[in-house]
Amino acid sequence: MEAVQKYSESELVLLLKQRSQQVYSYLYDNYAGALYNTIVGIVSDTELANDVLQEVFIKIWRQIESYDAGRGRLFTWMLNIARNASIDTVRSKGFQNSRANSELTENVYESAGSVETKTDTIGLRKVVAQLKDEWRVLVELSYFQGYTQDEIAGMLQIPLGTVKTRMRSALQQLSKQLKEK
Amino acid sequence: MDVKAYIESGVIESYIMGIADEQEVSELMNLAAQYPEIKQALHEAEASLEAFSLANATPPPSAVKKAIFELLSSEFSPIAETPEETKVVSFNFRWVAVAAVILLVVSSGLNVYFYARFKESTSQYEALVLEKNTLQANNQIMQTKSLDLYNSMQMMTDPAMLKVSMPGIAGKENSFATVFWDTKSRDVYILPNKLPQPAKGKQYQLWAIVDGKPVDAGMISDCAGLCKMKNIPKASMFAITLEKEGGSAIPTLSEMYVAGKVG
Repeated sequence: MEAVQKYSESELVLLLKQRSQQVYSYLYDNYAGALYNTIVGIVSDTELANDVLQEVFIKIWRQIESYDAGRGRLFTWMLNIARNASIDTVRSKGFQNSRANSELTENVYESAGSVETKTDTIGLRKVVAQLKDEWRVLVELSYFQGYTQDEIAGMLQIPLGTVKTRMRSALQQLSKQLKEK
Repeated sequence: MDVKAYIESGVIESYIMGIADEQEVSELMNLAAQYPEIKQALHEAEASLEAFSLANATPPPSAVKKAIFELLSSEFSPIAETPEETKVVSFNFRWVAVAAVILLVVSSGLNVYFYARFKESTSQYEALVLEKNTLQANNQIMQTKSLDLYNSMQMMTDPAMLKVSMPGIAGKENSFATVFWDTKSRDVYILPNKLPQPAKGKQYQLWAIVDGKPVDAGMISDCAGLCKMKNIPKASMFAITLEKEGGSAIPTLSEMYVAGKVG
């Protein structure tokens, strides 16, 4: 990170909207690693993760106008783009074909565990792995695989209310652990 | 409503991680607008996630950045990267150029103006030099004439000078001339007081009558005051005739204008 200059978040957004290459470069240098970690955590294939990172940064560049500071921080917005792009890639047909024997729908618990072990993990995955199983599976399915809470309720055969309550508890616990790190 | 319980429920984390459903999101947005504590908790949770993510970054291969920047190369703002100074400099340069052109035009105009003034002054100066020379020459002539007249006056008032008045003869009564004869040196001087302007090719000739015979006493030319004539040792009378230029050996009597006896 050779960027000498520091930008506040509002400056970053303003200059990005003015199509500043310098600020875009700064944004990449400062945030690409964090987003890449998230992408790799979901996509796991490095080649594919590179493509997703490229796609994510082009989306950030072209959709900066749609960023609403009133709804959250720039990083939260970028992280969601990265997460959604990664999940879309994983769900795309070509990707699923290459993993035709995905046992995901058959044994969710096992799948969750297997993805975890395949990835040489750092970051969020590592913290999630330390959660107790009934929480970990919820975070795995929702955050890393992009299923809605409704879908998860169906998959796990538990009521939506229970999913929501457990999910919140899981995330609350996760949040505490993030702060400890 | 129990704000603290809501904050601790995990719904904020579920929102920032993109897991919350639409209903949870709109509820949170409303409550965050109402309760500063909830808004604060939301900010803290976001900051915490960001800090954690940055601390756990995985550096991507450098080729990715290169590929992205090549792809977007045409979309970057040219102005944002190049300092505005170049624009300012060219703007300034344009004004300097305009000023230079204006100065050149003004200077050229002044050149023409001053050259015209110079020519005018030079010709005026030359005219003045010429006038001065003319005046000087005229002055010289006047001085010479004045000196001649002075000398003539001195001679005329000399007691040794004999004055011979020559009135016009019959038919030439308007004419009149005077001979001054130095009784010592016997030099003769003529003062043509009143003689008609001679025709071209003609000249007045002074004659001394010596022993009844006319003797050439010299040609009368245009001179100031007294004109010095020939030396005449002896004469009884003087007369002037109009002769051909250069004079004649014998006077043309029909062309006699004035005559006067000595004494």
